[in-house]
Amino acid sequence: MNSLIEEKVREIREIVGDGKAIIALSGGVDSSTAAMLAYKAIGERLYAVFVNTGLLRKGEPEFVIKTFRDFGLNLVAVNAEERFFRALKGVIDPEEKRKVIGKVFVEIFEEEAKKIGADFLIQGTIAPDWIESRGGIKSHHNVGGLPERLKLRIIEPLRDLYKDEVRQLARELGIPKEIYERMPFPGPGLAARIIGEVTPERVRIVREANAIVEEEIERAKLRPWQAFAVLLGLKTVGVQGDIRAYKETIAVRIVESTDGMTANAMNVPFEVLQRIAFRIVSEIPEVCRVLYDVTNKPPATIEFE
Amino acid sequence: MIAIIENHGQYTHRIWRTLREIGVKAEIIENTTPVSEIKNRKPAGIIFSGGPSLERAGNCWEILERYGEFGVPLLGICLGHQLIAKFFGGEVGRGKRAEYSLIEVEILEEDDIFRGLPGILRVWASHMDEVKKMPRDFELLARSEFCEIEAIRHRELPIYGVQFHPEVAHTEKGKEIYRNFVYLCKI
Repeated sequence: MNSLIEEKVREIREIVGDGKAIIALSGGVDSSTAAMLAYKAIGERLYAVFVNTGLLRKGEPEFVIKTFRDFGLNLVAVNAEERFFRALKGVIDPEEKRKVIGKVFVEIFEEEAKKIGADFLIQGTIAPDWIESRGGIKSHHNVGGLPERLKLRIIEPLRDLYKDEVRQLARELGIPKEIYERMPFPGPGLAARIIGEVTPERVRIVREANAIVEEEIERAKLRPWQAFAVLLGLKTVGVQGDIRAYKETIAVRIVESTDGMTANAMNVPFEVLQRIAFRIVSEIPEVCRVLYDVTNKPPATIEFE
Repeated sequence: MIAIIENHGQYTHRIWRTLREIGVKAEIIENTTPVSEIKNRKPAGIIFSGGPSLERAGNCWEILERYGEFGVPLLGICLGHQLIAKFFGGEVGRGKRAEYSLIEVEILEEDDIFRGLPGILRVWASHMDEVKKMPRDFELLARSEFCEIEAIRHRELPIYGVQFHPEVAHTEKGKEIYRNFVYLCKI
């Protein structure tokens, strides 16, 4: 693997020359690893652009900004919550959603690159991203959202790798455990976990539910590939304190996988699932029912959209 | 070098990764590449990847027509398996039931690609079409509860077809199947 680091660093250095580059940093394993490779290659001429889309997990923007500032990276944090919500207004189709998000991302990267004077955009794209985009399964935001005429030249040092290989690389690069052990999180963020329209209110519900799932998985010391909540946009009847309820339904998805290409629904102890359901309904007043997804990938994908 | 012919499958790159892990050089080659060009690269073995439809299998049919010019072991995965069966006179069509994710496969004939593997293999599949009638001069190597023809072998030539996906991480002993194939390629 060390030779792989050298090879990638050399590759980035050759392409960028004495120019400047920006990296699209989400704080996930892939973009963090790509960022460290690029930092090794071009140092101060790298600018990490972190976009708060308003679609991130609880506490995530603060975590990412602090972690990477501590690293010494040139970090540009862009607050674009309103911009994403505006673009997503009325969008229901899952592919359309992904493309809208990809488009806003690219606009922001182009604007920031212009301010900095960078000609290159480094992305943490990995093999499943382009395999699924090309196969028409789903457009990954870093692939399917790109316009045909992009003003920036794209560099994707991790294109041929899968997540498990990227994690190993991250470890060797000295990236902290809290980052390389993070669960994968989709580029379109919580928007991929909301069926139907994405609004600040609906994001708030799924964000809370998602945090509960992650906390309980941590508490039970389980190590799934991913564990998350989805807002199904489907109301069902409940009875809460002798009162009829007609409220939202949350699906919980917990899967095991090596590389994200195939995945199995995890055999999570029933008590853990029940505790998740109890907490979601008691802490989020808009919800009255919780379901557990037992489907593998294939036939279902890991994320719902 | 093993040539992996890309039929737009989700797991084509996984085949490449598996071979890389075994330590064998492999190249993913678009199925629209002229057959003579593939020949010039002198592959020691050929793998037909899976994919969404027989119509998008490009030059795979021509590779089979000119198989004698290659004379190297050939392995078809999923759609690649169906393509081989169809070429040699078998029938391919929609299965009564689809197979997705975990299935148990009963190995009927261990040689050559299932050498050293258990009699029941827990593997992952992803298909709705299947081989419905065996091609001429082929032997059945494996079957499952949902699909009668899970793996086949030509009686004389080193040509193999497997309906499931040995290259995905969830398939038990999948890498061993590729190792057996690589062994046949004498690399």
